[in-house]
Amino acid sequence: MTATLGSNQLLAFIKFLRGRNIPVSPADTLDAVQAASLLGYEQRDTLRDGLAAVLAKSSHEELTYREAFDLFFQPAKNEAQRTSAQEDASAAQESPDSGEVAAGQQDAVGDSLEDLLQGASGGMDPALSELAASSLMQALQGGDEAALSLSIEAAAEAAKVDQIQMFTQRGQYTRRLLDELGETALRDAAIALENSHPRAFAEVQELREDLRQRARDRVERAYLVHAAGDTEDFLDSALAEVRLANISPHQMARMRRLIDRMARKLASRHGRRRRRTRRGQLNVPATLRAAAATDGVPFNTHWRHIRKKKPQVMAICDVSGSVAAYAKFLLMFLYAVQDVLPRTRSFAFSSTLGEVTEWFDSLPVEEAVTRVNRVYGGATDYARAFLDFNSLALQDINKATTVIILGDARNNNSDPRLDLLAEIKARCKRLIWLNPEPRVGWGTGDSAMLPVIQHCHIATECNNLRQLERIVDKLLSEARGR
Amino acid sequence: MDTPLYPQLGDIDAITTAFGDAGYICTPRIATVVYLAAALNKPILVEGPPGVGKTELAKTCAEVIAKPLVRLQCYEGLDEAKALYEWKYGKQLLYTQILKEQLGDILEGAQGLKQSIQRLHSTGDVFYAKEFLEPRPLLRAMEQNDGAVLLIDEIDKADFEFESLLLEVLSDYQVSIPEIGTVQARSKPMVFLTSNDTRDLSDALKRRCLHLHIPFPSIELEGRIVTARVPELQERLGDQLVRFVHAVRELDLKKAPAISETIDWARSLVLLHANELDARLVHDTLNVLLKYEEDIIEAEDQMGKLLKLADVL
Repeated sequence: MTATLGSNQLLAFIKFLRGRNIPVSPADTLDAVQAASLLGYEQRDTLRDGLAAVLAKSSHEELTYREAFDLFFQPAKNEAQRTSAQEDASAAQESPDSGEVAAGQQDAVGDSLEDLLQGASGGMDPALSELAASSLMQALQGGDEAALSLSIEAAAEAAKVDQIQMFTQRGQYTRRLLDELGETALRDAAIALENSHPRAFAEVQELREDLRQRARDRVERAYLVHAAGDTEDFLDSALAEVRLANISPHQMARMRRLIDRMARKLASRHGRRRRRTRRGQLNVPATLRAAAATDGVPFNTHWRHIRKKKPQVMAICDVSGSVAAYAKFLLMFLYAVQDVLPRTRSFAFSSTLGEVTEWFDSLPVEEAVTRVNRVYGGATDYARAFLDFNSLALQDINKATTVIILGDARNNNSDPRLDLLAEIKARCKRLIWLNPEPRVGWGTGDSAMLPVIQHCHIATECNNLRQLERIVDKLLSEARGR
Repeated sequence: MDTPLYPQLGDIDAITTAFGDAGYICTPRIATVVYLAAALNKPILVEGPPGVGKTELAKTCAEVIAKPLVRLQCYEGLDEAKALYEWKYGKQLLYTQILKEQLGDILEGAQGLKQSIQRLHSTGDVFYAKEFLEPRPLLRAMEQNDGAVLLIDEIDKADFEFESLLLEVLSDYQVSIPEIGTVQARSKPMVFLTSNDTRDLSDALKRRCLHLHIPFPSIELEGRIVTARVPELQERLGDQLVRFVHAVRELDLKKAPAISETIDWARSLVLLHANELDARLVHDTLNVLLKYEEDIIEAEDQMGKLLKLADVL
């Protein structure tokens, strides 16, 4: 395989990766080309490992990368089968006798395609002679994979297959690709042979089907490489706007990815921030160095101490039926930003309240969420929940603590004991109430949301991922104390 | 590129063999990345759970290419004075005191401020010369004449700002010292950064490195590693031991046992002259493998199942 063809493939692969949300910079591309030329394209596994080192920059990217690599550089089609086919072909060439015997047997049904083609040079049928001369036919019959894929690549380029946009265009592009390949010759031959030579006709049809399958694969790949990424982005942004309660189970994987990505974005935006302060331990070397300029008099002091902010978040989630779905996503989000908010404690309640932090530390998030729902789900009682929370965690709340409460504030017409909520507000830095109900519904029926608002620093509606992202973003910038 | 600095790393198979001889069993993945790092002059960022041999990889590499290993252990609050260089401020002050008279001599007979300053300038920046510079690990690695292995261990423990400090070193193999200028590496070291993945590293840093993730090994690979490290271990015992450890890793533990712990356990069993694993022996030595009381209790609870998986019962 020539180097240019290889690096073109590589560039297409990189585009493919970008479509799957693996950011590959131009510098990475250069590295990848260099690495590939060092490693060569012969050994698939080595190439895969080598490119992984250059292109996938973290373990979760690596998973996507491996999947993408296998999809893009499909393993050579059934290596063993191919070689055996070639052996058969060469064996047949070596011993013409056996070939004749076989031909003799075939006479019973009709001439084989090969015989016809060999005879065709005599000029019996224009369609057939044309077919015999075409390189495509030779490649197909000889089982020459390399030549075949080369001509498919060339035809794909001529048919502009890479411009495919939508899933529904696949048929159209497959047809165009086949036309460029010169499949019409095969079709003409098939028509010519249909009645006269049934055996040869069947063989031609088989070759046509093989070719069609290859063309379909090629177009499919082009779609995955060039268009699927756009569609994914579209799906993602649509999903972010959907009400969280309406997310169906089959969308969970995508949702999970989306949350992870949003969380990474937020985490890097609010990365660890430290401030140098004017107190603490004296940085002797730095002070003396500065003193050299003032004849040894330590005029400007330098300090070693770097103050670390220790923001703490306590999330209290209503996990009763009506709000459970939202709690799940809030918790998933909060635990996805653990990098920046390492001291998150979570509590769940419906009638009674309990701390569930440990489950999130020890279990995968999804599992922890289902366990929370199982243990604490039920009818809501805010008074009881506040009471439990205050006895459990009130003494741990300080001016660095942000308390988030997620709930619809519907207390089945009993007293929610907002005095307890006021106590929490008085001790913490921020009290945020997230309500999945739209604002117009607040205060209707048994909703105690209107009095609740007075006891919160922020009360806001939160029912899709976009809103959730905005809130966590805000939370981070406040918690990190910009 | 004329003669390669690290000829031992010029071929993937050669790397596998050389590392194997040094007692480090390379997967093809690791060998490929080490080869690329040497060929492209790029640092390797090694990630993976604790104890899978990240640090060991760098040490073995130093051994294979027979170059010094310069190690920088990262921690919170690490700054350039400890990682890059530091002025020998005491020496500077001492010398200025001692040389006061000399300075007087130089300035003798000078007329006016301008002339004095001119004379002082003619002496150059004597107090900010390399003699007053105390090289720290990063600079020391750059100053090696014919190559070195630089190991920046547990980069995720260092602060965010420190990563930015590393960028210049990692991409251009140079260090900027304001008073002197840019110091180029005399020879480009092989650089290994290790991370336990406790936080995401910055994209800028990742971009400059080749990424290598070392997971827990397969049973077969771990068996080979243990045999390479503890050759005295009997084959049957080694087999049981590795299977047992793999079964333990499946449990719901606070800290899964790493390769280093498997090796420690194998050594302990050799010391105890064990020929075969049994419930009693495991019970007595489990604390070598597991480091939390809860984990040990959990493993004891499941002992029957574990031993069965380890092919003992």
